[in-house]
Amino acid sequence: MKFAAVQEPAFGRGGLAAIGALLAVWEILGRMELTIFVPPASAVAEAWWGLVSTGTLAKAGASSLLSLAKGFVPAAFLGVALGLAMGRFRTVRYLLDGWINALMSAPLSALVPVLIALFGIRDTVVAATVFLFSFFVIVVNTMTGVRGTERSLVEMARAFGASEAALFARVYLPSALPAVMLGLRLGAVQAVKGMVVGEMLISLVGMGERLIYYGNTFLIPELYAVIVSVLLVAILSSTFVQTCERALVRWK
Amino acid sequence: MQALVGIDIEVKAGEFLSLIGPSGCGKTTLLKSIAGLQPVEAGRITIGARAVTGPGGAEASLVFQDFALLPWATALENAEFGLRLRGVPAAERAVAARRALAKVGLAGSFEQAYPSQLSGGMQQRVGLARALAVNPQVLLMDEPFASIDEQTRRILQDDLLRMWSEERKTVVLVTHSMEEAIYLSDRVVVLSPRPGKVHRVFEVPLPRPREALDVRASGEFARLVDELWRILKKMQ
Amino acid sequence: MKVALLRGASLVAFLALWQWAAWVPVSFNFPTPWATLAALAALLGSGALLQATATSLQSLVLGFGAAIAIGVPLGLAMGVARGFGRVVRVYIDLLIALPTAALIPLVILSFGISIAASAVIVFVFSAPFITMNAYGGVRDTRPRLVEMARTFGASWLQLFGRVVLPSALPMILAGMRLGLSRAFLGLIVAELLLSPFGLGKLIMNSRSMFEHDKMFATVLWTLILSGAALALLAKLEGRMLRWRA
Repeated sequence: MKFAAVQEPAFGRGGLAAIGALLAVWEILGRMELTIFVPPASAVAEAWWGLVSTGTLAKAGASSLLSLAKGFVPAAFLGVALGLAMGRFRTVRYLLDGWINALMSAPLSALVPVLIALFGIRDTVVAATVFLFSFFVIVVNTMTGVRGTERSLVEMARAFGASEAALFARVYLPSALPAVMLGLRLGAVQAVKGMVVGEMLISLVGMGERLIYYGNTFLIPELYAVIVSVLLVAILSSTFVQTCERALVRWK
Repeated sequence: MQALVGIDIEVKAGEFLSLIGPSGCGKTTLLKSIAGLQPVEAGRITIGARAVTGPGGAEASLVFQDFALLPWATALENAEFGLRLRGVPAAERAVAARRALAKVGLAGSFEQAYPSQLSGGMQQRVGLARALAVNPQVLLMDEPFASIDEQTRRILQDDLLRMWSEERKTVVLVTHSMEEAIYLSDRVVVLSPRPGKVHRVFEVPLPRPREALDVRASGEFARLVDELWRILKKMQ
Repeated sequence: MKVALLRGASLVAFLALWQWAAWVPVSFNFPTPWATLAALAALLGSGALLQATATSLQSLVLGFGAAIAIGVPLGLAMGVARGFGRVVRVYIDLLIALPTAALIPLVILSFGISIAASAVIVFVFSAPFITMNAYGGVRDTRPRLVEMARTFGASWLQLFGRVVLPSALPMILAGMRLGLSRAFLGLIVAELLLSPFGLGKLIMNSRSMFEHDKMFATVLWTLILSGAALALLAKLEGRMLRWRA
């Protein structure tokens, strides 16, 4: 396989125990006051609560999630569509795979200044960054899924006189579905990364802006609190996609 | 539930013995026990004077159904593998490995080929060469030709017999194929399943060398295969 | 032949789109492709680009090198000691799920604005992926090969060195490739935020001075640089894995 395997995170009961252990160690280290840059977990929890109660987190979070949705939803639809087209039609693939491959492994953060030149310093840049970060992963995984369809299945369906549309709906699509879902899950995680990068670079709104702000003002427990919140958003996005996936499968 | 119970077999030196039986009869387990991969709970396995206590003894080496070649190593390097693990110096290793490859019909340019460049039959030859290179007393073969097409299989079987008649190693071969068992062996041990037991020990008095005579066409061969089939059928 | 034609066509289409974007009032900041290339030549000629590249590469090599030096052995250890692997894996999975950029302000606070900070950021961006790939490589070792080696009397050390490690190599190399692309990503984000260093500095300076052609040129150069580095790594990978079908 051309692309390195990025394994999906697997959090189980053992995982929770490991996280619990981490929190315990964190608390202990923090209490020892080795450095101001490692506050105890309890201080972070307190700061987090403070951010929630003043509504700061809600405001930043809302802006972030909005940008996330504005970027990820188009990326998902367009990404899957393009991936299907590229997987199915060789011409399309040859036309575009050079770009897709090149951009997939490129430091997309370098394009954010270009986006700023395009849109100015506005939250649209964040949505655009989210789109860029998630789009390519979705395209590549979808394309791989379609291309991985067993030739024998296709031939069998053709032998029974299946039309192009039927072939697509009944053979290619179901066969590619697991890969598409994987692409969407990975895309969701990438989308959140894009969201943070975009927000930090324009430093205007959202959780990324808060990260820059608390960094500049040395409010370290608050900084940690936002980091944890960002992590939670990332995990929840991926879980959300997984839930949608399961609902879709059940509906089928 | 035990895999094998009450197995009491004596394999004569230089004999070609096959193990056959329906699924679940434990033939592969028995082979692996002889190789020392599976511990024996009760009883003993001895090869020559020495008891088998674990894998990697000098007495037996194994040939696998799926070849088990290292994909990143050339045919020569694969054939050398057992010797390398034993610390045999490079020059000596290469000589022994080349000799083994020649015995299985893979001399010359095939040495530098990687498994991905070799057909199934050729890969198994490398596997066999690897097993022979360490000069074992007993050659254990676990359905060695099961993944190979029939025409190549027949050629390999004849080559195996030719090599065996020169080396006179003891061979214990596990197979699903009655024809293969009869064609190759001096004796066939039929195992019955759940738990694995020795059901019958079957003599194969066909003349040798079988690869030179047209044994498969003989009436005696057909009769023996049919008799074996009857035994196996009753166990289904 | 047809393939090359199609690829060429898409490149032409892209350039045409770019040219059009430069003319359209919406994105009046856009320099034309030609202006960008001219700026690129100028920057190369003045040495500014190469100097910035050298600075950036320092952080990259330090951070990425450390990521390999620490990540690969860690991943191997995780694969060999299963219990250890199962526990550590949780932390690494968290690091992978976390938008790593979020850690940048923290790193800057701890290390100040320095090459060390950039290197640490590059490390944090790339190490988790390198580790997980090494881990996966060990775990994916074909049991049959281990069994085979045992029948020939392989010791534990021999099993590791002669079966597990070569078997894991493809995934380790793929992990390095992924890690390198992540390293560049982290480097650029770090430098865009930190500003005093390297290519990021050049990009931000050009932008604040409204020299968009210079900015585009630097971005283009950065993309070419990362592409070349990855291509080089992929070639190395191909050379080392010649035995694959």
